[in-house]
Amino acid sequence: MPVTEPVLTRRIPTHPWGDPAKRRTISYDDFVATGGYKALEKALATEPAKIVEMVKESQLRGRGGAGFPCGLKWTFLPPPDGGRRYLAVNCDEAEPGTFKDRLLVDFDPHLVLEGIAIACYACRLDTAYFFIRGEYHHQAKVFQRAIDEAYAAGIFGPGGLLKGRSDFAVDIHLHRGAGAYICGEETGLLEAVEGKRGWPRIKPPFPAVKGLFGRPTIVNNVETLAAVGPIVERGVTWWTGMGCESRVGGAPSYGPKLMGVSGHVARPGVYEVDLGIPLRRLVEEHCLGMRRGRRFKGAIAGGVSMGILGPDQFDAPMDFDIGRTHDVMGLGTACPTVFDEETDMVAVARNIARFFKNESCGQCTPCREGAGWLFKLLCRIERGEATSRDLDMAIEIAGSMGIIPGTTICGLADGNNWAVRTIINKYRPEFEARLKPRFVSIGVPVRA
Amino acid sequence: MAWIAKPSGTAKIERRDEPYLTASMRERFERELLPRYETRQGALLPILHEIQHAWGHIPHQAMLEIAAFLGLRPADVLDTVTFYEEFTTRPRGECVIGVCQSIACEVCGHQELLDRIRQKLGIEPGETTDDGKFTLITMECLGSCDTAPVALVNETLHEGLTAERLEQIVDEAARSERAPHGPC
Ligand SMILES: Cc1cc2nc3c(=O)[nH]c(=O)nc-3n(C[C@H](O)[C@H](O)[C@H](O)COP(=O)(O)O)c2cc1C
Ligand code: SF4
Ligand code: FES
Repeated sequence: MPVTEPVLTRRIPTHPWGDPAKRRTISYDDFVATGGYKALEKALATEPAKIVEMVKESQLRGRGGAGFPCGLKWTFLPPPDGGRRYLAVNCDEAEPGTFKDRLLVDFDPHLVLEGIAIACYACRLDTAYFFIRGEYHHQAKVFQRAIDEAYAAGIFGPGGLLKGRSDFAVDIHLHRGAGAYICGEETGLLEAVEGKRGWPRIKPPFPAVKGLFGRPTIVNNVETLAAVGPIVERGVTWWTGMGCESRVGGAPSYGPKLMGVSGHVARPGVYEVDLGIPLRRLVEEHCLGMRRGRRFKGAIAGGVSMGILGPDQFDAPMDFDIGRTHDVMGLGTACPTVFDEETDMVAVARNIARFFKNESCGQCTPCREGAGWLFKLLCRIERGEATSRDLDMAIEIAGSMGIIPGTTICGLADGNNWAVRTIINKYRPEFEARLKPRFVSIGVPVRA
Repeated sequence: MAWIAKPSGTAKIERRDEPYLTASMRERFERELLPRYETRQGALLPILHEIQHAWGHIPHQAMLEIAAFLGLRPADVLDTVTFYEEFTTRPRGECVIGVCQSIACEVCGHQELLDRIRQKLGIEPGETTDDGKFTLITMECLGSCDTAPVALVNETLHEGLTAERLEQIVDEAARSERAPHGPC
């Protein structure tokens, strides 16, 4: 059964169910009046371990980029030992092309807070930090207001969750980032909460064992947590009825997903659709097709880190198998940026390479130096001053950086690797046409 | 970003008698911020945000005061400050125009926005007008790609921009008087 009604966007008017022009921030009172905090009530009447089990059974996969099974991550926590345990909510959302978490924070912040409260109860986490990127000035205010409302209503605070319905008490604090993409990486985020530069940590130890201030910590994306309430309230069978099974015998991609489409489509925006929807349907049915009736040339799969879907991959199903079947790194944030036939793919590659050069945190040499060189090489190609050797070198440098080749601490370098490599590979003639010949013609005819 | 070396060894620190971290700020931070974190350093980012917001930059003297307040080495504070793009150690213009240069905005025409501001104000990205009124910067994805191209003008996001509209916004900012810097 596909998604037949809005789930995460229940209170956020979204096509085809509602008109985005009618969106407004749902206050605590509006939220409760429309059935809000009922899932928390239900959760608090259940054993915490049962909730973890339920999230595991729902096979909810992380919405922050990696698609890691949420319930499984929660089981990595050691048993409580009386000390502090943390939840770090990842609202860094700085991956170019991505703007889905912002929708939830802007308009239905209590849905996110409810998921946070349930996760804290289930995993026995007493303190939550809501890490929000610095550029989200307005969203930080909206979310702080929602936190204040939730405290006033006794959802959080020393009295125990939901006006003391549970004696387990949770505190939540908003923590603003300050303009560093790398703080979206889970351990970079932890460093930023600790007041340090956002340098990712070497893993293991994983945050579940040794995270914030050296204590067990769960890091989850905003959308992942927003899905927890609906799962608890309406059950696992309902959730697994949406989305799709794996196409390659792997883990399924269940549930609805927020997909934010940008670029050359007629109606860009965030849509809530089944995981597995073919990109073509997402663009043609939801986004009303390509802008100005132009032809599809390619699309970033889900945030620039994932690489590109080529002209012949318009029918790619947007599920967690896409990395295995379509020569991209993965589904990422499931927010595609779509390009039409007029787009200069060399410029696209150069733009993305510049992003990674600017955002590399500089700890690992292959990432720091590689990112700089990739940008230089791509600029050279764009200006028509490069030779085929430069193009080969770009591919070689890109392919050597990242966790997958085993040369860096975090996945930022893999993002750079996949973006640059897949764009060059899938549009190679376009790059070659910009190269200058390696041998200069001397004007002497050669006869065989 | 972060790993660009700063000449901190030779930097001259300007000092003034009044502290940046006033007694009432310290008292408020102690009461509201510090209990939220396991370590005193945890409060560093929120404190830096307040200073950046109040003064438009983070003066070196303020870093020394924050270090003393949180029990950190001044170098640790500088380390954090220089890592994050939003914190600047030197004043910028009263009005900071941040044009998004990431992929969705580039393919939807961010260059026209940049060119218009360049021509109008005679500054390149990273520069400030001589009267100290405007700074132009380029920023990475602002999380509003569906309404590209976009720009963050001080703390307000402007979506679905045209060069004309951005020029209007800049004109409005030129006319308005910003509150003088000071503690909040
Ligand atoms: C360079 C980099 C940037 C990332 N940025 C984000 C981000 O902005 N938001 C996010 O939720 N996850 C981001 N992630 C993924 C996180 O590391 C982490 O996997 C995720 O927050 C876990 O949450 P989830 O399991 O609920 O998806 C990033 C990862 C890397 C390597
Ligand atoms: S891979 Fe790049 S961003 Fe990640 S830790 Fe290394 S240098 Fe920093
Ligand atoms: S690319 Fe400009 S807002 Fe995302």
